[in-house]
Amino acid sequence: MKPAPSLLSSAFLQPAGQALPAPLLALRKQRGAALVDMPMPTRKTENWKYSSKYLKLTDEMATSLPTAGKTGSALAVPGYKVAFINGVMVPEASEYPDLNDILIQRFSDLSDAEASELAERLDSTLDAKAVQFAGLNTARFEDGLVIRLKPDAVLDQPLFIIHEVTADASGSAFPRIFVEAGRNSQITLVEEFISSGQEAVFVNSVTEFTLAEGANVTNIRLSMGGENVQHIGATGVTQQRSSRFESHCVGFGGPLRRHDLRVRLEGKGAECKLNGVVVTQGTQHYDNHTTIEHVAPNCDSEETYRNIAADKSHAVFNGRIHIHPDAQKSNANMSNKNLLLSTGAEIDTKPELEIYADDVKCAHGATIGQLDKESLFYLVSRGIGIREANVLLTMAFINELVAQIPVDAVKDTVQIRLNQFFDQAFQEV
Amino acid sequence: MLSIKNLHASVEGKEILKGINLEIKAGEVHAIMGPNGSGKSTLAQVLAGNDAFEVTSGSVTMHGEDLLEKATEERARDGVFLAFQYPVEIPGVSNLQFMRTSVNAMRHHRGESEMNAAEFMKLAREISKQVDLDPAFLKRGVNEGFSGGEKKRNEIMQALMLQPKLAILDETDSGLDIDALKVVSDGVNALRAEDRAILMVTHYQRLLDHIVPDFVHVLAEGKIVKSGGRELALELEERGYAWLGIKDDETAASSALSNSAN
Ligand SMILES: Nc1ncnc2c1ncn2[C@@H]1O[C@H](COP(=O)(O)OP(=O)(O)O)[C@@H](O)[C@H]1O
Ligand SMILES: [Mg+2]
Repeated sequence: MKPAPSLLSSAFLQPAGQALPAPLLALRKQRGAALVDMPMPTRKTENWKYSSKYLKLTDEMATSLPTAGKTGSALAVPGYKVAFINGVMVPEASEYPDLNDILIQRFSDLSDAEASELAERLDSTLDAKAVQFAGLNTARFEDGLVIRLKPDAVLDQPLFIIHEVTADASGSAFPRIFVEAGRNSQITLVEEFISSGQEAVFVNSVTEFTLAEGANVTNIRLSMGGENVQHIGATGVTQQRSSRFESHCVGFGGPLRRHDLRVRLEGKGAECKLNGVVVTQGTQHYDNHTTIEHVAPNCDSEETYRNIAADKSHAVFNGRIHIHPDAQKSNANMSNKNLLLSTGAEIDTKPELEIYADDVKCAHGATIGQLDKESLFYLVSRGIGIREANVLLTMAFINELVAQIPVDAVKDTVQIRLNQFFDQAFQEV
Repeated sequence: MLSIKNLHASVEGKEILKGINLEIKAGEVHAIMGPNGSGKSTLAQVLAGNDAFEVTSGSVTMHGEDLLEKATEERARDGVFLAFQYPVEIPGVSNLQFMRTSVNAMRHHRGESEMNAAEFMKLAREISKQVDLDPAFLKRGVNEGFSGGEKKRNEIMQALMLQPKLAILDETDSGLDIDALKVVSDGVNALRAEDRAILMVTHYQRLLDHIVPDFVHVLAEGKIVKSGGRELALELEERGYAWLGIKDDETAASSALSNSAN
């Protein structure tokens, strides 16, 4: 057996597309240079402990997937739409209004001055050490999308970003989004990661949000790529005074799924609500790493994640709450519950609390369990079939989180996918 | 209708039922009494099909068919209903969703069309009134946060919705105050019908003041040690289980007096 390579292959450091403004090309080059000796995560890498074995990058997957001639997903959405194909936005397949106070632009369409300003801010919401692969996205993005909301701007409908990867050949895609929400602005951004084709591909995505004072941002993220897609994604958020960030991450497993979500509460009175649902089956994997930084005082964070693992699948949750010394009167709540649907499934959960302020309220809880036999018996004793009873109880575990998804069409999509999951998971029941 | 022959059952390798024989005809109401731990709930659970209990020998037939080889849900669809001594709480599944799924599973089994939401709500409202439960409870999780008495009334409500052939009521009277006891026994009496049998498990005789049984059986250490008419219950109340040479922590009579303390 060939030993696993210990450094990121140099094949991964060749970006495609030179159509970017000079400041962004320069940033990309700089990040690439910094990754030359990037060690690949192993079992001994603390934040990849349970997941490194699923990461199987080959040199064939290093090349950027072609974007020329692709039309983009025909998926109809109840709102505005931006279609990404293999990491690059496709204007012909996108539909959004031309507004004065909300600017939606490709990186490649920015002036040098705008690009230079953006280059300063890219990666600013993430911690390069903790989110190793975000840097790779910055070294590789072919293009990207920047959404700027001017003060008080309100987008009247959700904006859907359909991230499609076409896996007709092996390769990779590096979608990049930067959202700058101005003072008291509001937006709901839905991101759907989907795939077509069967070849082994790698998706490395980064989405960043900066929320100015009083901004209100909702982000729904659906991870629904195929069994041939290894996906490492990161979401970074910084929040100023009295801003609110709400996220709903729904993930279906794959050969490798990793999402790092980091929220920094930097302004007094900011609040975030992070919901997450993960379901895995077969030999799938999913790893959520979240970090909430309470930097400023009087901020609230509420985090609720649920994992359901069937068959021989593996789900991981790592939730870190860091309360900085100045963050008095912080209120942090984290709940992680996990459901194992088979004895062969595995779930690893780890809450990490670091509290350096004394006047804080911080509660956390994590549980791992199976479907309750007594409850199952109660349901079937009323004539409900055993399969349906299993579905009812499994759904009960995540009902509340699904119900909270604020866009009905997304809720429906999630329910359809969940039903497919149940069909598979309870096939032999 | 129901014929139990020499039924033995154990849990975790320990034999609990040690040869039960019982014949129940349609239209009859049977009461099973006995001290705590004598195996009353075990019998009820075995009849409903809880596989935590292993039937080691004996047979149970209902309408001539082998009941024991059927899955729990099949027994339910054939008309077996168990009102649990300790109904489980299921947060995340609403009572409404639960009962509608149940009613429709039964209808489906009978080849009838599903009840739509409006029809179901109408029925559910009516019956919830009958057992004195606020219809608002339908929206809550199954038994979630219910008081002991509400749970028992919810069990009777389900029996009334499902109209079973054989209703097994496991201590549906315990934990009820006098008013709730009245509501529950009115519900049970409403269930009495020519084509239906009722098997009531009770620790106390007081329920039998409201629901008059045709037969009373005394269960002790996994066996029926005495059977008789309703006068047997009265005699037990007066003389206690010790009269039959049965050990009990509390006598039937004294516990009957402490009913509202539950
Ligand atoms: N799930 C179980 N596991 C172990 N022992 C049990 C279980 N259920 C009942 N038993 C035992 O079986 C005996 C009879 O219990 P039960 O049928 O509940 O009695 P009753 O309903 O008459 O009070 C008791 O000794 C009880 O401890
Ligand atoms: Mg009992």
